[in-house]
Amino acid sequence: MLEVRNLVFAYPDQESPWNFDFTVEPGQCIAVHGASGSGKSTLMNLLAGFLEPQSGDILWQNMSLRHHAPWHRPMTSVFQEHNLFEHLSVDANIGLGIHPGLKLTSRDQQAIDKGLQSVGLDGFGKRLPGDLSGGQRQRVALLRAILRQQPVLLLDEPLTGLDSDARDLLRQLLLDQKAQGTLIVLASHDEEDRRILADSIYKL
Amino acid sequence: MSSLAERQQHPLPSHSTPGRPAPFSRPGWQLWPGFAIAGALVLLSLAGLGALVWEASLPDISQLWQNRYLRTVVSFTIWQAFLSVLLSLLVAIPIARILARQPAFRGRAVLLRLMELSLVLPSIVAVSGLVSVYGRQGWFTGFASDWLGASWNLYGINGIVLAHVFFNAPLAARILLQATEGTPPSQLRVAAQLGLGRWWYWRAVEWPSIKPVLPGVAALVFTLCFTSFAIVMTLGGGPAATTIEVAIYQSLRFEFDSGQAALLAMVQLIICGFLWWLAARRGLTASLLPDRRVASHRTKAGSSPRARLADGTILGLFVLFLVMPLFAILIRGLPGMGSAFFPQGSFSANPALLDATMRSLAIALPAGLMAVCAALLILACGATSKRPAITRLTDVAAYLPLMIPPLVLGTGLFLLFRPSLGSSNEGLVLVTLINAMMALPFVLQMLKGPLGSLDSASRQQADQLGILGWYRWRWLHWPRMRKPLALAMAYGTGLSLGDFGVIALFGTPGQPTLPVLLYQQLGSYRMDAAAATGLWLVLLLLVLFSVFNQLGSPLHKTGFATKSPRSVPEPEHA
Repeated sequence: MLEVRNLVFAYPDQESPWNFDFTVEPGQCIAVHGASGSGKSTLMNLLAGFLEPQSGDILWQNMSLRHHAPWHRPMTSVFQEHNLFEHLSVDANIGLGIHPGLKLTSRDQQAIDKGLQSVGLDGFGKRLPGDLSGGQRQRVALLRAILRQQPVLLLDEPLTGLDSDARDLLRQLLLDQKAQGTLIVLASHDEEDRRILADSIYKL
Repeated sequence: MSSLAERQQHPLPSHSTPGRPAPFSRPGWQLWPGFAIAGALVLLSLAGLGALVWEASLPDISQLWQNRYLRTVVSFTIWQAFLSVLLSLLVAIPIARILARQPAFRGRAVLLRLMELSLVLPSIVAVSGLVSVYGRQGWFTGFASDWLGASWNLYGINGIVLAHVFFNAPLAARILLQATEGTPPSQLRVAAQLGLGRWWYWRAVEWPSIKPVLPGVAALVFTLCFTSFAIVMTLGGGPAATTIEVAIYQSLRFEFDSGQAALLAMVQLIICGFLWWLAARRGLTASLLPDRRVASHRTKAGSSPRARLADGTILGLFVLFLVMPLFAILIRGLPGMGSAFFPQGSFSANPALLDATMRSLAIALPAGLMAVCAALLILACGATSKRPAITRLTDVAAYLPLMIPPLVLGTGLFLLFRPSLGSSNEGLVLVTLINAMMALPFVLQMLKGPLGSLDSASRQQADQLGILGWYRWRWLHWPRMRKPLALAMAYGTGLSLGDFGVIALFGTPGQPTLPVLLYQQLGSYRMDAAAATGLWLVLLLLVLFSVFNQLGSPLHKTGFATKSPRSVPEPEHA
């Protein structure tokens, strides 16, 4: 279970700080929504460990993550864009999610190939991210997040700006992940995304 | 893909990725080696200076204004540096403006590379080229006296300032061009739409972009001219035209007056240090080396055929100014190349030239490598540290070699290590160390940009994926750094290869490096041999740059990283 307990954060020039408080069970999706500047991305960055809260705590299976570095947290983020390393091939981008030194076994490589096939990108492994469309890039980013096998997925507007086919495919991928027990925190403006994916809504 | 049950066996993994943590991933690995090197650099510099002051009985400071020689030396040093800055900027500003206005003429890229040559062309070689053009028997001097009836003496302040302008005007123009190219395209479009005339274009677009970097450029050129050694040694022409650096050399080498050398060194340190403190305080040192990317898309300010003709004429004169000495080195050196390698028609190679070449490379290659390694570690330390004191220490260490005269540093360190510095080979180790220190500020500037080019989104991704330490270097930095590193190595090695400062003090005449051999040949009026040695030195530099360029290019596709980064512009070298 992921518990966010009275997590308080404010930027230096911010008058009233944000206060986040919610709980999510594994295999569930919580959708966070609110106007621009309401703190959705800040919440994602706090959960991922990119920002340090002023007070409060984040608990995973009753263990505090507050002082854990991003690489020690059981989470993987997918943002709206800038998810991939532009100078590395699709294979390498995904492979880095499996092993940060790209020391991959043949089984890992098979998993990458199979994963690419499952998201409709068979044969795209040697391409650079710049050669892909927005939807294809998001599929690669999501595939990396899935193959990284972390129990929590942090998704910050991952489907924004994609065409309907790409959206449908990624939604199905996320539903599959939920079914396998992945906990999803989804920040989204889109009502349909929230309706299809979310089990609970957290309004900011 | 694993199930929840499998994942919950390890609810909070000790590391989010399989296997051991990345090698060298502890922050200390990025912090402490660079901190140690920066600290050692500062300590070595201070210890060197301190040893000299300690050994010598420091003369009364009032000597500076009471002793006529010292007074002349200090005032001449300031005067020639001031004149050199003024003339260099007077040449550089119009050249930068023209190059910004004319973004697409044929040969622009070659000219820009040529302008960077001044960073590595050995002063002593350039001086031999300048002598061929502007000396007593020079082409230009002949032309000026035959056609214009003007007389001209290269030796003295004329030659010193001319050589300084030859070296520094292209460097300054390159930096100023970079500043003007940083003007937002929207501003250029507005200026083009409004049809601004030359004066208003200068006021509204060019001057605002040049103004912030101009004091920093002036400080850089002033420091380089203030501490110039080889040019003043060869073109100075007597006590009336002696700079502090040359006076230090004379004090140490001929007068054995280390007290006077220490006093002069401190004057230099105070003046250059104050200048750099001012520059660093106002953030002017951030972009003092030319970015090697060449902007190709730019909205042109409307220019009439007459204006284009004027631009072309000025650029042509500038190119002539740059190319003539280089051409002279080639023309005068080529005929002597055969006899330089195979003297008097013998088939056995000239041992003096080969030995000097090997000695130069034996000093320059380790010096380049040391400078690059030190620069990388210092940059990593500066980027990792959150303590302002450590960041400041790395900044000071980076620019200290520009302020302390290498001769003083060398002598101080020699005195410090004297009991264990016996043989000439050990002296050469000291020369290598000091050459590495001298190259450090330039190498550091070259690597700073590429090392910091990883955007925050990529850094966050890397953090989350556990791509730390060695893995981050291998997969994220190395593809961006490969070429800049090779380039920095080439510049570091090239600067040391052409060094004629520390080696003049510590080298033995019987074991010269190439610049020392060239100086000896010039001193004994063996002009053909000197020209050949000069050309050989330039060719060696070109070979060196080509080799490092090859080393910096990916040889073949390996594993995953199949292509060069497209989003990361990889600089080309001259």
